[in-house]
Amino acid sequence: MTRESLVVSTLVELADNLVDNFDVIDVLTFLCDRCVQAVDMDAAGVMLESPGGELQYIASSSDSMRVLELFQIQTDEGPCIDSVRGSKAIINRELRESDNRWPRFSPKAMELGFQSVHCLPMRLRGKSIGALNLFRADVGYLSDEDVLVVQGLADVATIAILQHRSLLDASTLNGQLSQALNSRIIIEQAKGIIAESLKCDMDQAFARLRTHARNHNLGLTDVARGVVAGSIRSADLDAPRARIVK
Amino acid sequence: MVFVPSDRLIDIFALMARHERQGAKEGSLSLAAAEITNVTGAGIVLSPGDSQMTNFGTSNDVATELLELEMTLREGPYVDACAGEVAEDVDLLSSSKPRWILYTPSAIDIGARAVFSFPVRIGSIRLGALGLYRDEPGELTYEQSSDAFLMASVVARAMLALQSGSSGEDLSEELEREATFDFTIHQAAGMLSVQARMNVGDALVLLRTHAFATSRSISAMAARIINRETAYDEKSGTWYDEGDIAI
Repeated sequence: MTRESLVVSTLVELADNLVDNFDVIDVLTFLCDRCVQAVDMDAAGVMLESPGGELQYIASSSDSMRVLELFQIQTDEGPCIDSVRGSKAIINRELRESDNRWPRFSPKAMELGFQSVHCLPMRLRGKSIGALNLFRADVGYLSDEDVLVVQGLADVATIAILQHRSLLDASTLNGQLSQALNSRIIIEQAKGIIAESLKCDMDQAFARLRTHARNHNLGLTDVARGVVAGSIRSADLDAPRARIVK
Repeated sequence: MVFVPSDRLIDIFALMARHERQGAKEGSLSLAAAEITNVTGAGIVLSPGDSQMTNFGTSNDVATELLELEMTLREGPYVDACAGEVAEDVDLLSSSKPRWILYTPSAIDIGARAVFSFPVRIGSIRLGALGLYRDEPGELTYEQSSDAFLMASVVARAMLALQSGSSGEDLSEELEREATFDFTIHQAAGMLSVQARMNVGDALVLLRTHAFATSRSISAMAARIINRETAYDEKSGTWYDEGDIAI
């Protein structure tokens, strides 16, 4: 995952602490509305792939959109299906009465008043988990800039869902985080102690720590902790074979 | 159902997405914090549990200096917010009895006139602090203050979500990229603990005190110790400061 989608991602695990009764469907419906406003569409909808591989209707900005999403699922045909399966975007696709690609879907969409369609896959770490559909009542084009905006919103939707699926256990993670930080700190303190005791530089000090940990089949943090606590003396640490310190 | 905050929440996400896209080096969280609350600058501190404060992004140079000042002094709005206290309105110039005796004059020198801070936490779990400053005096409006609380909540989520990418004991790569870890402070504390024959906790206090006494930031002092320009002589109880007149 790129840095970009990552931080957009962190955004999220949205509002369950901010709002009582947080509901992922509400958030996605809200995002659909936002897409419609942001790039001047007439309708937007989100479909998700279930772990078994079937698509499910999740949220939409309007009722006709909901009908259309359900129709795609029923007939197993349409832009959303193609976008999820191929994991690629469909942009600026005009609908036609006799459409070879979507013979059943296109007439149905036109019957509901739509003329053009766009569909963006919702992806995370290369895996497609669903798609965002956008429809317009006339033939209009999305610019590259528009596509970026919508893809950004699709990213937000993706993460909202993933976070919702695997609810973070905040206290476990926090414990992990503080432990990870503390072990890093202990290693740095140990490096300082070794560097001062053996009059070497930090890299050499770290090499001592690592060599000793390897030779004795110990964790790096455990050796560092011993050095900081004084139960392991710097001079007793194994020196790396290739480059002997002092 | 009332869903009031999400409009503002989406604004925060949009700001962050924009900064991400522009590849801002300052980090999208602090930039979004400064913008959404409409103040001069913002900074974020990571400090899970009782661990040391780590810079998790600042929106400009003054914000960075203000944060470093607190790391040196162990006093100020971030320190209070990490302990769970909100500093919603601290006008640095006006009060005859400053809330932070050492911090206040230095913060004014750096360029701040009003500072604010908000704990970054989820329930009872403390993760760090969000700090804001303004280059002119004045309190936050009700809206600014509620935006700041919302932003602090987003920051908390972001910290945990970033760490959730990690396999276990280590800091996740994503988190490392966002944070600016100054591990030299801990290396220097390790060295000092040998020089002064004390434990590293006490050595860190000694480091901080000497940095303040010589008007340096704690990281600048750490660099001097690592470069062996400054050392503590345990026998005489004095400091050796290369290039300085003996203190």
